[in-house]
Amino acid sequence: MEYVVAVLSIIGIHALLGLSVYLVAITGQLSFGQQGFYAIGAYLAGMATALWNWSLGPALALGTVAAGVVGFLVGFPALRVRGLYLGIATLGFGEIVRLGFLNLKYTKTIGGRLVGPNGAEGFRHVTYVYERGITQGQYLLVILLALALVIVLISLLERSRLGVQFRAVEEDEIAAAVAGVHVTAVKVLAFTLGGMVAGLGGALFVHYSTYIDHEMVALPLAVSAVTYAMLGGLGSCWGTVLGAAVLISLTEGLRVAKEFRLIVYGALIILVMTLRPRGLVDERVVLWLGGWMRRRRWRLDAP
Amino acid sequence: MKRLAVGAVVVASALALLPGAGAAFQEEGTLRIGGMWALSGPAAYIGSSSRGLAQLAVDEINEAGGVSIQGKRVKLQLYAYDDACKAEEGLTVVRRLADSDRVLFSLGPTCSSVAEPVFGILQKRLDDPADTGLQFLFFTDTAIKFGLARISPWAFRNVGNEPEMFDLTFKLVRERHPELRTAAVAYESDFAHSVSTWKGAVEPALKKYGYQVLEVVEWRFEDTEFGAQTTKLRKANADLLVMLTHTFSTCGAVKEFKRQRVRSKLMIGITSAASTETMVGCGQAVEGMIIPTNFAAVTPRARALAEKAWARYKADSNLHSVPAYENIYAIKSIVEKVGIRNEPGTLLQDRRKVRDALARLGTFQGVLGPIKMNGDDDPVKPRDVDKAVILVQARNAQWTVWWQPPEMGKK
Amino acid sequence: MSALLLDVVQQTINGLMYGAFYALLGIGFTLFFGVMKKFNLAYGPTVMAGIYLGLLPLYVWKAPIWVVVLTCVAGAVLVGLLVEVACFRYVAPGNELAPLMTTIGMLILIQELVVLLTHAAPFEYPPVFGDESLELGPFLVRPDYLAILLAGLLFVGLLYLLVEHTAFGRAMRAVAENPRVAQLLGVDVSRVNTLTFVLTSAVGGASGFLVAMTFGALQPGIAGWMTIKGLVVIVIGGLGSIPGAVLAGLLLGVVEFQALWFLGITWRDIFAYLLLFAFLVLRPAGLLGRAAT
Repeated sequence: MEYVVAVLSIIGIHALLGLSVYLVAITGQLSFGQQGFYAIGAYLAGMATALWNWSLGPALALGTVAAGVVGFLVGFPALRVRGLYLGIATLGFGEIVRLGFLNLKYTKTIGGRLVGPNGAEGFRHVTYVYERGITQGQYLLVILLALALVIVLISLLERSRLGVQFRAVEEDEIAAAVAGVHVTAVKVLAFTLGGMVAGLGGALFVHYSTYIDHEMVALPLAVSAVTYAMLGGLGSCWGTVLGAAVLISLTEGLRVAKEFRLIVYGALIILVMTLRPRGLVDERVVLWLGGWMRRRRWRLDAP
Repeated sequence: MKRLAVGAVVVASALALLPGAGAAFQEEGTLRIGGMWALSGPAAYIGSSSRGLAQLAVDEINEAGGVSIQGKRVKLQLYAYDDACKAEEGLTVVRRLADSDRVLFSLGPTCSSVAEPVFGILQKRLDDPADTGLQFLFFTDTAIKFGLARISPWAFRNVGNEPEMFDLTFKLVRERHPELRTAAVAYESDFAHSVSTWKGAVEPALKKYGYQVLEVVEWRFEDTEFGAQTTKLRKANADLLVMLTHTFSTCGAVKEFKRQRVRSKLMIGITSAASTETMVGCGQAVEGMIIPTNFAAVTPRARALAEKAWARYKADSNLHSVPAYENIYAIKSIVEKVGIRNEPGTLLQDRRKVRDALARLGTFQGVLGPIKMNGDDDPVKPRDVDKAVILVQARNAQWTVWWQPPEMGKK
Repeated sequence: MSALLLDVVQQTINGLMYGAFYALLGIGFTLFFGVMKKFNLAYGPTVMAGIYLGLLPLYVWKAPIWVVVLTCVAGAVLVGLLVEVACFRYVAPGNELAPLMTTIGMLILIQELVVLLTHAAPFEYPPVFGDESLELGPFLVRPDYLAILLAGLLFVGLLYLLVEHTAFGRAMRAVAENPRVAQLLGVDVSRVNTLTFVLTSAVGGASGFLVAMTFGALQPGIAGWMTIKGLVVIVIGGLGSIPGAVLAGLLLGVVEFQALWFLGITWRDIFAYLLLFAFLVLRPAGLLGRAAT
């Protein structure tokens, strides 16, 4: 059972990371830099509880808000580039954040131990959760609650006029602008929200693992984040959650394949993306599901 | 058809999460032990050697009849997993070992960056009900970053003590080559092990033995171009060149030294580089390099082990992998002495019994000689070992012994 | 000359030499993008596969060096064709992001396959061009980097001849302009696409051999690293422009080396990305690319 809880915890955290890519992607911007916001959330929340004695809630909020602020700042220069240029630029951003944390040294001696980010040697002893008798299962509830909140908020966003504007910008920026959509505001907002969600994921992660370092927020995490969203499909945020769940379950479940695990994993990505190029939960699936639900309701209403 | 295939993938991944069926250990005649190593990714060559040596120990013990528990002989069963040198995978694998596979203890991890979070989630205060850390025993063979075992009383390590190893190294170099006075250092600034070895082991030792550090250069673990740093080293023209870099960049750098005609009188290397891979990868370029290590095939027993491990498991015997072999034997003798029940219901007590015995163990037999396990209350290195240090030197594409403790080799 | 000036010149020389290496990577990427209008993130692993396959004649068959070169090229071509079939051919058209993901999947697959087959152990290529730097006055020049620079110029020249003066080159340019019209005019678009894979992979394989010689030890991580550098180079150089890729590679090399010498390793990486950002913000078309429509 503990093992399943551990896997679900990682799925929950990575789903948040994937959702941060999703939020930005539905305005037509593909970001390979969301792991940078994740890192900001992780380091700041970790410092809050481990160095400044904050409690968990405010620390998570700090990580979320700080990453959101950086997202806001990134959103503006991001306006100037499009398509895969943006992908490469955000990749560069993520790397610069990582390099920044590689060089961050801010330690204090607390209770006889050296605590705090220590450059390449990492940031250990973020033990808030484990010191207070919070079990892994209880922390999973925290993660799932955060995830549920984010999913609800994203769903509300998507059903609102703002959500339509997001999709309009993805579809055709010029037409959207002509129709009165404030394209700049939409795109910057997407980066801000995406940053916040990734920051929340990072803040939750560092308290789960008690440790963060620069290697953990490098390019492989960028690729994972984008893969969750792309594999999941951009039709609905559930697609990304499903994408994270499937990929992480595969990482664990393929352990039976021993040394061939990652080879099979790569092959499966190729297979799924070939069979369903728009992801598992693409727009057609969403429409089909919506239609199915409408048909069900109609049958129930019929006398 | 498409939907079927995709549906199958989704269902398969969901099924993947089901934990394995837990059978009764003593009833089924097995003692379960675990290991998590880097079996994929760049550190795979280190992890796979550890796994090979562990499997060798398990097979040897099983061939000799197994472990004696409650008057019955049970076979060892090794549950080995790949953590790909990644924290997220380490965090899930440790719970799989602890909870689904229900092993008595685990070897590994290979990477210090995985050991950090994995030890971090272990229980910090024994017998404290408010501490919900995992109560699971680690007896590590590889992760060498200084201070990891302090993180939790459930973390024990049989790894080299780099501050002491380099202290000994520079002491001996001072004695044998008093004419060498100056040093230049290269390290990998993005690799935690390299940085902590420089800061925690080499810098203090160089200072202690009166060496003047003329130049310190850095590069990245994955770098392949070392021209600028080599030029700086050439200008420094130091007597000693201390290369705290791992195999890939070491090989690249020493070739650049040759190109730019950097000639040092003596090269010192980092512990992890003393492996067969370095020889295969660098060959002549590292000629003369001296490295402190804990394992070299200098006794008949060590030679036999190295040959057997290579022949049967294609596993290299070195300071990172041989501890896996030693640890399994140590736990076997603890289990037989302390007496565990080996039943699923008593797993927590059994682990605790073995943990406490390991803390009180004192000295146990390693392949090259006695190893001393420091207890919980050691002020400097609790739950880490003291063991013999050997200095090896690369000569003609082979690692030969430059210095070994006088008592060794007489066994 | 003052010591400072000597350093600047030496690092500029180093940077240009090393930049030729980036240029070689960029040439393959940009050629691919020019014709296919897609990014092949599996190009880095294709080159790496060619390099590792070259180890077979080197160590197992103990064959002469020209066999090794041919193996690198042939190996890269085979893997390139595999990438074409697995990652591009069966993806329904109109999905631009899907090939991105399939090539990422292929990157993971090839990298792990190499780790599996080699146990991630380090291997080395022999230094064909000697293992000592040439001395030109007060400066040191690496002969293998010089070879790469000359090879890069040679490739650019050959590709120019191919693209401008052969029928196949005309077909490639037609497909690059407008595949549908090219099809209507009788160009076999799918054959051109396949041959583009062959060509870029061949260039990749040859580049791979040259580049592998300069490494002290091969490691599987080079696939990802080559991919990133290649992408940065083609963005700076202008998508689809081969001379642009060369110039961008040289520029990146010089910037990195100067930053490394004077400021240290962290700034080397930061400056590389700052250079990228500068181009994206100030001149998104790149050095020699056509202005983005």
